[in-house]
Amino acid sequence: MAFDRVRLDIADGVAVLTLNDPQVMNAAGAPLLDEFLAALDSVDAPENGVRCLVVTGAGDSFCAGANLKERGLGVAKPVGKVLETHWHPLLRRLRRLHCPVVAAVNGPAAGGGMSLALACDLIVAVRSAYFLQAFRRIGLSPDVGSSWTLPRRAGVARAMELSMLGEKLPAPMALEWGLINRVVDDGQALAEAMKIARELAQGPTVALALMRQLYWSSTENTFEEQLDLECRSQRIAGETDDFREGVAAFLEKRPARFKGR
Amino acid sequence: MDFNRVKVEVEDGVALLTLNHPEVMNAISIDMLEGLGEAFDFIEDKANGVRCVVMTGQGKGFCAGANLQGRNTSPAKKTNAGAVLESHYHPLLRRIRRLHCPIITAINGAAAGAGMSLSLMGDLKLAAKSAYFMQAFRRIGLVPDAGSTYILPRLIGVARSMELSLLGEKLPAQTALAWGLINRVYEDADLMSEAKKMAKELANGPTVSLALIRGLYWDSPENTFEEQLDLEFRTQRVAGDTDDFKEGVKAFLEKRPAQFKGR
Repeated sequence: MAFDRVRLDIADGVAVLTLNDPQVMNAAGAPLLDEFLAALDSVDAPENGVRCLVVTGAGDSFCAGANLKERGLGVAKPVGKVLETHWHPLLRRLRRLHCPVVAAVNGPAAGGGMSLALACDLIVAVRSAYFLQAFRRIGLSPDVGSSWTLPRRAGVARAMELSMLGEKLPAPMALEWGLINRVVDDGQALAEAMKIARELAQGPTVALALMRQLYWSSTENTFEEQLDLECRSQRIAGETDDFREGVAAFLEKRPARFKGR
Repeated sequence: MDFNRVKVEVEDGVALLTLNHPEVMNAISIDMLEGLGEAFDFIEDKANGVRCVVMTGQGKGFCAGANLQGRNTSPAKKTNAGAVLESHYHPLLRRIRRLHCPIITAINGAAAGAGMSLSLMGDLKLAAKSAYFMQAFRRIGLVPDAGSTYILPRLIGVARSMELSLLGEKLPAQTALAWGLINRVYEDADLMSEAKKMAKELANGPTVSLALIRGLYWDSPENTFEEQLDLEFRTQRVAGDTDDFKEGVKAFLEKRPAQFKGR
């Protein structure tokens, strides 16, 4: 794929999208985000057969958030503009993706970079990585969805603390708080994320996609609305070949071979 | 009282509701769901004086989820996997949500798929050390149901919910406790006696107020702050009208234990 600030590698049903601007700790300005969105077009294209997406960063950082140097000093640009033009479309694309998303947090995830990690379904981080709600340090408030995802992952008490104090949250503490899913040795984030991604890429993709939608929607729904959604989702899952294969494999006491349809 | 694949025994205001199909680890069939419906008719009948419910499983499992053995797997047939949810599971969940008294789940062994969902319907969830939870759905190409996509993220957050459902791995009782999914873990041999002890304590409590409390927490995540303040206000008015409130205040002033009647 001909990208400059991101890299996209697709193999065996797993797409790895790497933020690729290590000189600035993969800080994301409009140019990088344009490429991120274009890369998602390839991830979405059925002919590429992607059944799981991994997001990671090149070098020693995951993503340092907004690229402040690219803001064009002296030019009066409203701070919120890139949110609506780039970040929010990106978040919506991730939310509606047809397959699971695993974040391989290979180093610091700060500001919008932390938010990006939190928008993924499963998060693997290296031991030395940290999460930082950097916004208050430059007089801004949390964005890129983190004021929505953070309290839903870690509860309001911890979300308030992280955003208001702006202190580093080390990966092992993030694991203990239920903010992320795995902590591995330094250098091992991508390897562990790939292990999970390959397992997911061989799973019942339709059901897995419905499942992530269920959890994305859950906190917005009443109990009755969620029961209704479970019912409609189960009906779709129940019509897949993978469901028939899953039941047959269960009854024959053998591992299921899912095709993702 | 024996119902279809379910039995209920009432003692001192505590109804012990046992899923009773141990040959299949109490997997849920239409028969069992109908039995559960009748069991809750019995529990809700004022004449039976139930002031707390304990739900558990017969044998070594709590509940293995939907009974797959019974379904028609012929490839020609398109199954509507959502229909039985609306016809049988959801009415049961609604009844539990609206129950007039607290319900404890005593998770004596594996709680998988819809069985895990059912175990999470307890106001208080007690587990045996050897018990485990499993979001088995993805293993057969389905999605979590019986309310677990509503309850799970509210108990343990989205990160851990995603992990359990997407990967479908077993969650041991001890980890479930550390994650805040359940309330207590006991030695296997002690689970039922501890569950009954806790149930008896609740059954001697101010039942109206306990029922209102569980209602408040069921509604809380659906409400705005203003709506919840309003609900607390209306709820407190109902609780304040009970004999138990009068007795509670009196006992407090007289420095003696209150004798609540549940009304």
